[in-house]
Amino acid sequence: MSFIKKFIEQETISRRNFLLASAYGVSGAAAMRMFGPSPAMAASYSDPTVAWSYRNRTNPYWNEIVSGGEAFVESLGKDKSFLTHLINEGSSEKSLADVKALLAKTNGELALAIDTNDAPNARPVVESCVEAGAYVSTLWNKTDDLHPWDFGDNYVSHMSWSDEGPAEQTARILLDAIGGKGGVVHLGGIASNNPAIERLNGLKNALKDYPDVELLDAQPADWDTQKANQVMSGFITRYGDEISGVHCANDTIAYGVLEALRAEGMDIPIVSYDGNPQAVGLVAEGKILATVFTNPHWGGGITAALAYYAATGHFKPSEEPNEHREFNGPSIFVTPADAAEFKANYLDNVPTYDWKDFWGPSNGPIVYK
Amino acid sequence: MSSSTAALPDGPRRISRETLVKWAPLLVLVVLVLLFPLFEWLEDFRDGKDHIYLLDSRFLSIRNFARIAISASPALMVAIGVTFIILMGSIDLSMEGTVSVCAVMFALMFIGMGGTLASWAFLAIPGALVVGAVMGFINGLVHVKLKIPSFMASLAMGFVGTGFALLLTGGDRIRVEDEAFRSLLTVRWFNFPVMCYVALLGLLVAWFIQSRTTLGRNFYAVGGGEELAKASGLNVNRVRIMGFTLAGVFFAMGALLAVGRIGIAETATGNGFMFVSITAVVVGGTALWGGIGGVWNTLIGVLIVNVINNGMVVIGLPNWVQDGTLGLLVIAAVVLSTDRRSVSFVK
Repeated sequence: MSFIKKFIEQETISRRNFLLASAYGVSGAAAMRMFGPSPAMAASYSDPTVAWSYRNRTNPYWNEIVSGGEAFVESLGKDKSFLTHLINEGSSEKSLADVKALLAKTNGELALAIDTNDAPNARPVVESCVEAGAYVSTLWNKTDDLHPWDFGDNYVSHMSWSDEGPAEQTARILLDAIGGKGGVVHLGGIASNNPAIERLNGLKNALKDYPDVELLDAQPADWDTQKANQVMSGFITRYGDEISGVHCANDTIAYGVLEALRAEGMDIPIVSYDGNPQAVGLVAEGKILATVFTNPHWGGGITAALAYYAATGHFKPSEEPNEHREFNGPSIFVTPADAAEFKANYLDNVPTYDWKDFWGPSNGPIVYK
Repeated sequence: MSSSTAALPDGPRRISRETLVKWAPLLVLVVLVLLFPLFEWLEDFRDGKDHIYLLDSRFLSIRNFARIAISASPALMVAIGVTFIILMGSIDLSMEGTVSVCAVMFALMFIGMGGTLASWAFLAIPGALVVGAVMGFINGLVHVKLKIPSFMASLAMGFVGTGFALLLTGGDRIRVEDEAFRSLLTVRWFNFPVMCYVALLGLLVAWFIQSRTTLGRNFYAVGGGEELAKASGLNVNRVRIMGFTLAGVFFAMGALLAVGRIGIAETATGNGFMFVSITAVVVGGTALWGGIGGVWNTLIGVLIVNVINNGMVVIGLPNWVQDGTLGLLVIAAVVLSTDRRSVSFVK
């Protein structure tokens, strides 16, 4: 049995070596930190790691966001795989833990683009990055009291979209199409999601100008095609021919609604949101009246680009005005008249963006209510 | 069943508890079908509209039953698959992943081979069933050969499936627009779309397997007492693997109907099937500890869940009440429809 004995001995030694090595690692890193550059002073890095932290790629929307991030790193002459993906799977804890791990690994030489999964998580993420000397740009989620300009250069920017206005405009298109009278139903996203709330508010705002239109019902369909399909069939049972138009919170919901209508042989106007390629195709065919394209590809790319170019010292965030640090992303309307042109310009060939034109396509500063 | 009635003293024939438990799920379904029109009637009564109870009900109409049947058809196939597993006293949670993979593989094969049923693309249908069988077979192997509890093995395989489906699609959705295939939804016989008849056929096949084949009887043997079955010379491992394979085939059937219903195959196609199928099986009166129940119970269970889902929207229940109500109704249905006196412990 000597081989067993030998194996155990070897294991003991290697474990001891490992412990010693890791003890050195910790204290060594601490020593480096003591003598290294002060993290509060913004350092610029020649070749920072570029990372995108997001939910996952199953959702076409996030898939587009990340493809933008990949297009950006390719513009640097690097391979797609240069982009580090931190996937939080909808967990804020994992999102923060992944960021901290990557900060430790890169020693703060990091340009991070992130959606922190929920608003409260943005602060710890930003603070960890600032402390480590990394550069971070956030997308969608942050609390209203957290601002990039309070963190010097390291919290580079925040981008979001205000959906209320565009959703109101699609609602007007719908309400005009039904002749300004009748009943409409709304199928929303996950009830607590901000975009879901804003898009329903948009419809309600528009309805104020159309006294003869009744909002028959609004139910969440959780951004899910199959759920939307079932909710819509329920609506058809409850309201039948009273429904003269459908306002959908996004394209995935619209697909389910269209199929529910098709099963009943009904053909009524519907409007949607997000501008996914298939939805744009349906707009071109006239099956959807309008959708709103938020250009997630550009959003994903520019968020990474802002963090990267701040990290390399290409521009100094603290010298930029506030509206360059908190801004809304673009909203482009797609209607049957321009769907074909839009498809050719944005979808069939994804435009090559100038990733140093940080604010060109953006849509004004974020306004807090 | 007759022994307990016979044991009763003279007097009016009482319905035995067993009979009651056996028919409880159907009773729950009937009550629900009568309950929702009542709410509708109350609402119209409050609004001062003319409404004759049941006759004027929007819920209790053929068109609405067709809608319920459409939403129930894919779920029924998936639930039948998992019924076989639950009969054996195991559990299969791989349905979401398996359904996604089958849906995506079907769509890819279908589009790749011509994109219309009138071409060789019809082979995508058996192709998808084979994919389901393979997924189920692997699932069964992992469970039996690696001796991992079915709960964990199948859950893990489900994740593998979802990941694989994502790999195949790259996050995109695949549209299946062929008119012939979509006739599953668009063509109606006697007011019901073709997919409902396909589901019915699937149910009959499942019933045949359950009651007329050795494999079906073996499911009950394993679920009723695995030790006994083993001692009687039954190759329990083989039965288990075949059970998971069969379940995979039914998951694939569910995937085909799900694609037929919305014309889209994507990684999210499988979403939601776990909750609805397990709930349906349990509400239908199939015991989670195995050996009791069957595919007809599952049919009733699937209908109960879908009637509740549809009915809650029809009576205009606020959405934040819907989920909670569904949960309470599930507990109520399980209490009514399973005989828990014979169970010494619940784990």
